[in-house]
Amino acid sequence: MVDVASREERRVRRRAERKPASRPDGGGLVGDSRAMPYVLSMPSILMVTALLAFPVLYAVWGSLFDAQFLGGPVEFVGLQQYIDLFQDAAFLRSILRTTVFVSGVLIIGMGLGLIFAFALNGAAARLRFMRGITIVPYLVSGVATAVIFRLILNQEFGQVNRFLALFGVDRIAWFSDPDMAMLAAVLAQVWSDLPLAVLLILGGLQTVDPDLTDAASVDGATGWKRAWKISIPLITPQIVLATILLSYQALTSLGVVIALTGGGPVDATRTLPVALYEKAFVELETNAALAIVVVILLFNALLTLGYYAFSRKYDLESM
Amino acid sequence: MTSIAAEPSSRDETVRARINAMKLWARRSIRWIVLLILAVWTTFPILMTLSVSLKTRAAVGTDPGLIPSNPTLEAYAGVIAQQGFKGAFLNSVLVGLGTSLLTLVLAVPAAYAFARYRFRGRHLLLLFTLLPRLIPGLGLMVPLYRLAVALGAIDKLLTLIVAFTGTVLPLAVWLLVGFFQQIPRDLEEAANVDGANLFSRVRYIVLPLAVPAMIAIGVLAFREAWNEFNLVLGLTSAPGSRTLPYELFLMTQTTGFQNSPGQAAFAIMTIIPFIFVYLRIERFVVGGITSGAVK
Repeated sequence: MVDVASREERRVRRRAERKPASRPDGGGLVGDSRAMPYVLSMPSILMVTALLAFPVLYAVWGSLFDAQFLGGPVEFVGLQQYIDLFQDAAFLRSILRTTVFVSGVLIIGMGLGLIFAFALNGAAARLRFMRGITIVPYLVSGVATAVIFRLILNQEFGQVNRFLALFGVDRIAWFSDPDMAMLAAVLAQVWSDLPLAVLLILGGLQTVDPDLTDAASVDGATGWKRAWKISIPLITPQIVLATILLSYQALTSLGVVIALTGGGPVDATRTLPVALYEKAFVELETNAALAIVVVILLFNALLTLGYYAFSRKYDLESM
Repeated sequence: MTSIAAEPSSRDETVRARINAMKLWARRSIRWIVLLILAVWTTFPILMTLSVSLKTRAAVGTDPGLIPSNPTLEAYAGVIAQQGFKGAFLNSVLVGLGTSLLTLVLAVPAAYAFARYRFRGRHLLLLFTLLPRLIPGLGLMVPLYRLAVALGAIDKLLTLIVAFTGTVLPLAVWLLVGFFQQIPRDLEEAANVDGANLFSRVRYIVLPLAVPAMIAIGVLAFREAWNEFNLVLGLTSAPGSRTLPYELFLMTQTTGFQNSPGQAAFAIMTIIPFIFVYLRIERFVVGGITSGAVK
């Protein structure tokens, strides 16, 4: 029996070796049709192309047209939509606000992400339980996150103001003060995406060889020094990835912001996604909205470009 | 920043040992304080929401403590009786299950092809990693809305399922490829020798081994469908065709800061079922999320 099987195997291998060009590592097994991989993968490829790639081309195309009046016939206007957008002070302000929003999310998110990940990394025994808790906000939708933050930041009965009152801080008007509304949006966004950052950084920390930090502490390095000089340089890939991921999420965050503040007060939190929503579904100028889509996609492409330049540098595929 | 070895007054060994012990103790307590903050940061907002949801509208202002003095399920009854809630809940469940199923049906064969065969077009796998990063759901909201209007596909659950599957599929295929590659070829070759064809190989060898990965992908797809807001905003308008996040958004718009217990109860009902599902299968999901995030 064994003999027969191994002879069969050798035959299989010999066959595989005979066609190295088309099947370098054996390809499919004997008896599989050559068309099989195409048949198997085509539905997914078509689906992704139709639902991701095509709509974007459609958006670029559609942004070159405009209707003379609402609901009227559309005509080709070239880049006029983009010219209008970048001459619109409100739109430029929303780009600036998006920058503030994304920066705020990055500063608070990465700060907390690093601190929490370092704390989790040492707590080996309780790690599973704590990791389970950490992920919970990831399961909450953006709109539900906004509802939650409307409650805890409520000026009258919100627990945050009640807590701050213990330190003599007056009731903060989170949703009528423009700066505070922006901070509220940033906090809600950070809450919602922090699990990604913490888990990524934690994953990196767990690959740091404990011998390295042990050796450093024998040489007299304190906890902070070990973190700064050894752990953080070693997990730079994860830190940059978490940074890019957080900015990507913040740049395209609509549900959190719009359900939390509705873009207000007086446009103080009208970020690019909110501007897009209003243009498309309130002002009903969908061709102009498509131009905003293209602008957002371009910003996003810059982030992605950074991501790929970076992942190539650090050979992340092997991580 | 003073290093232990350079301490000038630590000639005495016992003193040095005591200092070390104190530093260790300090470090440990800092760690536990940070972990405590993490636990509060994560759970407190949800607990506060739960607390508000168990109060009456009047009690929200007068009884601001975390533990309600007169807990009541009034707000829940109100939301369930509210027009649109039950329908949205059912829609969310159907769309979630449909998305999970369609994602798996499409992703398993594609991932098998990418993992096992060297064929022209294999480089298209890169498409699956690149496109979702280049094209966030927000970017699809308006184009898909226009396309759905043109195709008469607006307000249909199937449209939502197809659109969500499109956005989840790349990650699903990518995760499954990695998983299938870990299944030893030898197993399949041995079965092949025994005369098993492709379908019985996949059915009896690959799929049983891939169950954990498939559960993780099913849950990730369900989460995506359950929580997605942008595409629902674009692809539905009629009442009765919306899913929970959209319905909750509308409730915040119509009731403002008036009906806090109702909004809290609504939010809790969208969160809690899913947290229970998740806690049972946490170990599959966390791996899926982080590897997806890295790649």
